[in-house]
Parts: sequence; structure tokens; C-alpha cells
Amino acid sequence: MTQCPACRLPLGEGDYLALAIHLVDRADASDSPHVRWLNQNLARQRTDPADLVGGLRKVYDLGSGTIKDWIKSKFISKFFGANPHPFVVALQHPSRSTLLGYVVEHQHFLRQWVRSCSFIMARTDQPSVVLYELDNLNTEFGGFGPSRVSHYELLLRMGESLDLARSQVLATPPLPATRAALEEWNEIATREHWVAVLAAMHSLELIANRNLVDVGASVRYFDPAILRGSEITDASKNFLREGYEADVGHSDEALALVAQFGTRPDLLEEVQSTFLRSIDLFDDYLLARLERATQFEA
Amino acid sequence: MKRNYSGCAICDSTWGNLWEDVEGERMFFCCDVCLTQFRRLVDRVKRETGWSAIEALEIEGDRRGRRCLAASGEARFRFRIAFNSLGEIRAFERLAVG
Repeated sequence: MTQCPACRLPLGEGDYLALAIHLVDRADASDSPHVRWLNQNLARQRTDPADLVGGLRKVYDLGSGTIKDWIKSKFISKFFGANPHPFVVALQHPSRSTLLGYVVEHQHFLRQWVRSCSFIMARTDQPSVVLYELDNLNTEFGGFGPSRVSHYELLLRMGESLDLARSQVLATPPLPATRAALEEWNEIATREHWVAVLAAMHSLELIANRNLVDVGASVRYFDPAILRGSEITDASKNFLREGYEADVGHSDEALALVAQFGTRPDLLEEVQSTFLRSIDLFDDYLLARLERATQFEA
Repeated sequence: MKRNYSGCAICDSTWGNLWEDVEGERMFFCCDVCLTQFRRLVDRVKRETGWSAIEALEIEGDRRGRRCLAASGEARFRFRIAFNSLGEIRAFERLAVG
């Protein structure tokens, strides 16, 4: 089944004309997510639905690669292209305010992460997926005891090392843009096929996958030189290093599971559309981290 | 207001069909987020400059950030602006007019 990549409306499998008609119809109504998707993925000039079909087919075409390659390629062009995402630019050599913006918004993201991944576990019939999610959730949120604390705990410690009390972090509600993204990720988790949710959520861990520079990314998530020296606090290094080391495995393993379970013809396009929507939400969410950062600027 | 875009007043896209009065002029926008962005831009420039109206506006760039030149009479004001996903300003920087 094809889905609209802007609103996830289900459409017929491979029916790119129906998708084009829907996109143009919603764009004619000035609906922002649809206009945005057309602007960023197909064309900035209005055209008729029939003229969009070829472009849509190209967007969804895996070419000679796999779904894993396709997801990586789309992710790289959105976040690590010639003009990388502004948060990635800011994180190369981050200021205190950038890191605090990260802390305050990301605690909300990680709490939603638990909910989203739990839905995958609840709905999958595959033990390998459950085991993957259990390990991921312990790494990200639960931890493995005092000697190996979670990414969530490391995040809060990063905030404390920058003089932001965890009580203040935990008491701060998300910015509206973060809240909107989290609400839609929650809806995706509860409504879409578990393989689509797996792709939508774990593809986001590609952001810290340092190996993407080997397949076309213009930069890494941050300059690894900041893990040495005294540019950032030790707690910040611990937090960033954890993602730097864990997210190669997390994202690659999850995408291998997507490739294993998500390539049924009737499921593949649903996986692709849900992923495309998820990276738009992630784009918005990363901007919200920068928006929060401005509150900590002198 | 003289502008360098013939499509949406802030992003030049020709998708959408939103017409709104801004600064006494009927303008085309592709969506409500762009409308919000444009209104916030105009308000901020007027606040920064003290101008009562912007007579001309040139915009370069994209959703990652835009560099703009505003004019009122002989006066010029150059700035960089970026928005959040809801159309609110998240970064604004005065640039040297040169």
C-alpha cells in the first residue's frame, strides 16, 4: 500500500497517480505539510498531477540497492547534504547553549522513544525484533546498572555539567514544535505497521552514525575532535561518545531488520512513506533544539 | 512592497492558494506557515529599524536560513533570519549593509 508521505493517507499499492492527485489537491488547499513535501522533494512550481507521477516513482524507486541503502541515501540528503541541517552545523563545535538546547528538548524525545519502541515490541511477532528493542531501550533509557548508565542519564549529567539542574530540565515542558513532532511520532507508533514504525524511529539513529561519511555524508554529527581536549565538559563527551559508539550498531541493525521484514511489496511503500514523514518531523525537532538553545544565550 | 519573488512572498513556491493582506497589500502565500514567517519578518524589521513601512524586500536562501535586504526610502537594512517549523523566528542577525 502506498501512503501519502505528508499525512500517511493510505492509497493503492504503486498508485502514484492517486498519490499525485492527493498531493496536488491538498497543496491547492494550502496545506502546509503537503506543500512542504512537494517543495522539498519534487518541485517548487505547481504542476498537474500527471506531471508528478514520474518524479514520485523516482522518489520511491530503490534502484539497484536495498531499502537500507534507500533510507540512508534519503537521510543523508536531508541532514548531511551540501547544506547540512543547522543543528548538525551547530554541533560540530557546540556552544554551551547548543548543548543545553539539546538536553532540554531531548529528554522529551527519549521519553517518547520508549513509548514508540514499546509499541514495536507489543505488535511484532518476531523475537529478533523484541530482543533488539530490549537492548536498545536499555541503552537509551533503562541502563545496565551503575557501571553502564543509560543515554538518558548521560544526557541529564551533561546538563548538570553545564550548570542546569536535572530538576529544572525535567520540569521544563517541550517547545510547541517538539510537542507537535512527538505527538505525531506517537500516532505513527500506535497506528502504522510495526515494520514501518521500526523504520520511522530507528532510521533517526542514523544522525549519529559516523560511518555515513563513507557513503556520501558531507560531515559527521559532530567533529570527533571535540571528544578530545577541553572544548566541552567531560559529561558532554560521555553523552556524545555514547551515541557515537552505539548508534552505528543501532541504526544498522534496525535497518537490517527493516530489510528482512519490510520488503513485501504491499508493505514496502508504507515503510518508505512513514520513514519520509518521520524525517520531516525529525528536521522540525532538531530545529526546536536550536530554538531552545537561544534561551540559554547570554 | 517591491519584492524579488513572484510566487509565495517568502519562499517563491507556486503551490498553494493563500491570499492575505499584509501591510495593506494582497499577497500570495503557499501555506499558513509561510504567511506566519512573512508576518514575523515584517514585524521584526519594523521593530529593528523603526520604519513605518518596508518599501522593498529582497530574499535569498531557503528553509535553512534566509539573507534579506529591506529598503525604506534611501535607508537599507540587511539581515539573516531563520524560522522554526511553525513559522516563528528562531534566529535573527543584523548584517552590515555593504
